Amino acid sequence: MNEAFFDKKEYKPLDRVDGRLKVTGAAKYSAEYPLPNMAFAVLVGSRIAKGTIKSIDSKAAERAPGVLAVISHLNAIKVPGYQPKGEHPSEPSTNGQPLRVFFDNKIVSNDQPIVAVVATSLEKAQYGASLVKIQYIKEQHKTDLEANAGDAKLAAAAKKNPKSPTADYDRGQKDAFESAPVKFEAEYVLPTEVHNPMELQSIIAHWEADNKLTVYDKVQGTKMTQKNFAKEWDIPEENVKCIATFVGGAFGNGLHNWPHETAAIIAAKQVKRPVKLVLTREQMFTMVGYRPRTWQKIQVGATRDGKLVAINHQSIGQTSSYEEFTESTLMQTRMMYASPSVSTRYRILPLNVATPIWMRGPGEATGAFALESAMDEVAHAIGMDPIDFRLANYTESDPDKNMPWSTKYMRECYEEGKKRIGWKNRKLKPGEVRDGEWLVGYGMGTGTFGANRGPATVHAELDKEGNLVMHCAITDIGPGTGTAMVQIASNTTGISTDKITFHLGSSEFPNAGLQGGSSTVNSVGPAVLAACNALKEQLITMAAAKGNSAFTSAKPDDLMFNKSELQLGGKSAKTTLADLFKQNNLEKIETTNESKPDENRNKYSMNAFSMHFAMVHVHPFTGQVRVKKIVCCADAGTIVSPKTAESQMIGGATGGIGMALTEDAVMDHRFGRYVTKDLGDYHVPVHADVPDIDVYFVNKPDLLADPVGSKGLGEIAIIGVAPAIANAVFNATGKRVRELPITPDKLI
Amino acid sequence: MDKNKSNKKPEKEDHQESRRDFLKASSILTAIAVAPATVAKAAEYNLGEKISAAFETTPVNLTINGVKKQLPVEPRSTLLDVLREQLDLTGTKKGCDYGQCGACTVHVNGQRVLSCLSLAVMQEGKEVTTIEGLAKGDELHPMQKAFIKHDGFQCGYCTPGQIMSGIACINEGHANSKEDIKEFMSGNICRCGAYPNIVKAIQEVKNGGQKS
Amino acid sequence: MIQFQYERASTAKAAVNALTNNANAKIIAGGTNLVDLMKRNVMAPTKLVDINALPLREIRQQDGKISIGAMALNSQVADDKLIIEKHPLLSQALNAGASAQIRNMASVGGNMMQRTRCHYFYDTALPCNKREPGSGCGAMEGMNRMHAVFGTSEKCIAVHPSDMCIALVALDATVLVTGPKGDRRIPFEELHRLPGNQPEKDNNLQKDELIISVEIPDNSFSKNSHYMKIRDRASYAFALVSVAAALNIEGKVIKEARLAMGGVAHKPWRLKEAEKALVGKPATEETFRQAAEIAMQGAKAYKHNAFKLKLGPNVIVEALKNAAGLV
Repeated sequence: MNEAFFDKKEYKPLDRVDGRLKVTGAAKYSAEYPLPNMAFAVLVGSRIAKGTIKSIDSKAAERAPGVLAVISHLNAIKVPGYQPKGEHPSEPSTNGQPLRVFFDNKIVSNDQPIVAVVATSLEKAQYGASLVKIQYIKEQHKTDLEANAGDAKLAAAAKKNPKSPTADYDRGQKDAFESAPVKFEAEYVLPTEVHNPMELQSIIAHWEADNKLTVYDKVQGTKMTQKNFAKEWDIPEENVKCIATFVGGAFGNGLHNWPHETAAIIAAKQVKRPVKLVLTREQMFTMVGYRPRTWQKIQVGATRDGKLVAINHQSIGQTSSYEEFTESTLMQTRMMYASPSVSTRYRILPLNVATPIWMRGPGEATGAFALESAMDEVAHAIGMDPIDFRLANYTESDPDKNMPWSTKYMRECYEEGKKRIGWKNRKLKPGEVRDGEWLVGYGMGTGTFGANRGPATVHAELDKEGNLVMHCAITDIGPGTGTAMVQIASNTTGISTDKITFHLGSSEFPNAGLQGGSSTVNSVGPAVLAACNALKEQLITMAAAKGNSAFTSAKPDDLMFNKSELQLGGKSAKTTLADLFKQNNLEKIETTNESKPDENRNKYSMNAFSMHFAMVHVHPFTGQVRVKKIVCCADAGTIVSPKTAESQMIGGATGGIGMALTEDAVMDHRFGRYVTKDLGDYHVPVHADVPDIDVYFVNKPDLLADPVGSKGLGEIAIIGVAPAIANAVFNATGKRVRELPITPDKLI
Repeated sequence: MDKNKSNKKPEKEDHQESRRDFLKASSILTAIAVAPATVAKAAEYNLGEKISAAFETTPVNLTINGVKKQLPVEPRSTLLDVLREQLDLTGTKKGCDYGQCGACTVHVNGQRVLSCLSLAVMQEGKEVTTIEGLAKGDELHPMQKAFIKHDGFQCGYCTPGQIMSGIACINEGHANSKEDIKEFMSGNICRCGAYPNIVKAIQEVKNGGQKS
Repeated sequence: MIQFQYERASTAKAAVNALTNNANAKIIAGGTNLVDLMKRNVMAPTKLVDINALPLREIRQQDGKISIGAMALNSQVADDKLIIEKHPLLSQALNAGASAQIRNMASVGGNMMQRTRCHYFYDTALPCNKREPGSGCGAMEGMNRMHAVFGTSEKCIAVHPSDMCIALVALDATVLVTGPKGDRRIPFEELHRLPGNQPEKDNNLQKDELIISVEIPDNSFSKNSHYMKIRDRASYAFALVSVAAALNIEGKVIKEARLAMGGVAHKPWRLKEAEKALVGKPATEETFRQAAEIAMQGAKAYKHNAFKLKLGPNVIVEALKNAAGLV
């Protein structure tokens, strides 16, 4: 190692490598590939929440101009993967059976896709869809979480494995809470939230041959999709190609292959044409997952001087009747604070609704709303500053796993965040600070998420002009994966970023997992590192073989590019790439390298941490809340792409504003049907809702987690934001809102 | 409005109408099989659609990104669907299709409008500018450059709409302060949450004197 | 969307004729509401009559009033110097509605004709007497947080969604319409109607009448008016409650007052009794609070919108305070 010579740790802000494509409209998203002879499919959803289809009258639709097919369970071709046991392949697997579209006449949720109308144009397909008449036999449905809470149950995964994150957990003394000097107890409710990426879920399904399928599909994993559809259609994996070069946001809803994708593939097979299927915005609420409505109850016991004695935390989250969706709602309660006694009880409640799916920050963001609100409430009850209260319960090792942290730099976050938000202006007593008519409040919330890492493989090619081209199947749903990988490669090799290309988003490329769970830089980054080092090794070997003795004992870390020159650190030896390639009679060199998690994962607890601070104004008479400033502090290891990383934090904070103040998918339980199901009624934050967001990165590498030193950002960007805002609202008004969103009606 | 044009039009429409009336009268009543009642009622009046399908497009003359085009469109086709599905100008995005997100923002005669709520047939004689029409060759529009510089996007899907809207926001005189920009850009939703960076990009272009 | 006939009208008369001749024809101007409703199969006209070629975009001062053509765009009116100078309340209300793009498309006449955003009206799988008379009111026992507290009926509790109309009703506007029998003038307050037994009817226009213009009489409110809209996010959302407040203050005494509310009724809700309670009183918070109490008399809440009974008067007071310059 010769780090003094080659300063590789300093990553500089870089414009997005795909920026030009995105600002010119040239970036192609999944519905934007013009294939000859394209047909268009529109899905008709069920109008009841539970029951069976009695009849489908498709005559008028079939006769409508341009309609090619009206497909339902009555006439859909057999999907081999549905047979024989009825297992439907899906990864990552939820317990149960994903919905098999057009399989039978069962209705398991409202707006379940039951008919596809395929036509020669979108307009004709839409019109055709409006002509389909369906009769149902209704059964009594259950969609209301609170009303049916008594039916909540332990997840099957937890029954099988007591170590499952969803299993019951107890540490310390069982009745510690009961005997605590200060006892606090409250219930919190998070409504159903919907990912609502700006791009509607879209797929073009194209059977290039009878057993050869290409999908241009909006997903977060091209390999997952390839594998699932290969199984579903009983064809070799190499016969399935999934293209997802650009993904217009996803936030988790592309982590599952959904019924509409299979519907399009069935339709393409049936009409023998490529079929484009784009969901409507309403269908984004019912067909591609959501953050489940979750009820939580938390009990916190503490001493009067602010030491935690016990935390008991339980939650019930809704799931569908056919898949057990679970998430890690209660995990941080076990490890965030040094409470000697902790109990968690995680339950799921199957309802006649569609299956949820992880939404940004997933369960941790839900759990953090309860935990971090409760911490604020207890601090208030004992008259302590909420930051001091948290610091009094700071934990230097993971109390759940009984392991040291790989790294944890939260103290820096507390200090920096306090300074930047102006915490000194906060008054302990709520309602004391005013700006004109508006009440002013400050609040904070913390977040954590596992520094996840999975195996990933990168192929890299270096030509004699010094162009480095890499390939990997990973997707980029927006964080700037290509940009980050180019930066890692440049940082590792010294090759300037404009000579490096990172191709992603195709199942044709080397393996990578899903873009989810904040794992991309931690997983693919090391593979880029490995590939770059392998190329350097090849160059060193080539140089040494040609008699350049200085290279004989050199290691990859000693070698860096300086434009077209290869330099050896600390030594005067150098050669040029052109010479080396010429001497070896080569046009290019290449390598494929895999990188995997190592045994450090068994020795350390690896987590990224965040801390969010909010300053809000609340109007005492109209109940309006205006977030005036947010400070986000993150201990996420090495920040390899400072510019896009900052944007990712800003985006997470914006999602947190939505969670805290505006987002609510309201269902009318009489019908089991959403009533707020478009972007007019389901309010995601707009420009006017979002203040300046100040981002601070500790930016210290965690080399135990992975060789890049990164711990991941996507989730911690949102986890803890909603409680920070809710706590600030309390500080402003003295009103504690425990059911999100905090709309004006709840504050007047 | 061009007087000559509006004088000519009705005649043409009259022709079309009588043709439709004829088709209506000569077609056979088909079975009703319609989900929503409103559509059922409409369908009764909409007899013989199959027969008349071939006649159902109307030519519309548009200038798109400086290029004059005559396109056959169904009256029900939106400008958005015509751009994306007929002309392969997919830079204009469909985010909601109901006028609730701004992803489909284009300029029609220099004004920012939502192409998802604009019927293509109603744009007769108008000039449409889409995101693809902003750059002059390789030279990006200052707003495009500013978006890259300030990282005014992540996934990029709302970006064309934000850029088209941002340019118009300045031209309308609604970019005089940060608060002003935020209010007058609120019709463009960004779920990735790039808002503060978008505002910075617009401010920079505004302060640099926009030439569009 | 169904296939429909499309016709461009070159005169108002031609447009009216087209409506007279086809009961299922609809006028299209900006299309921002109609196209949306057609996409969702809530409305399915078999013919659209495009009136964009009609010369109805002018905003002009006439003797004692300002006349705004029905085809003037919402953004055009909001940014118009004359409007900003004489009726800033209208400009504020317009800018509080929709988005910049929609305001660039939507006409003044179309704004008046826009239909409720009630969830049940929009979803053809749910009952709605306005969309399908006799199917029932989904909102009555359902999710009615956004719904009306004044003037509801057994059949319908939907609200009128416009902001512009709240300002216009406060400013004593008059609507000019033309029809087969010629022109007529409708006081703005009588343009929209309460649901009663016919919630399918939003307003008192005949099916073949066309809005030509709206007139606002000159007034003395330009110094002391304010439009306040409370919604679930900072912009681009329909009102929970909105208030248009206009005062003519001489010395410290209120000489004239205009007050109207949005988000509370099937029509723009003018508060005449509250106005009377303001006149002759000092422009103080106490006066405003008393007027707000009067304003809310007769309000009736449903399961999820009881907050409007408290938010309503608060917004009235805040709007009046802003109008009076007390904030």
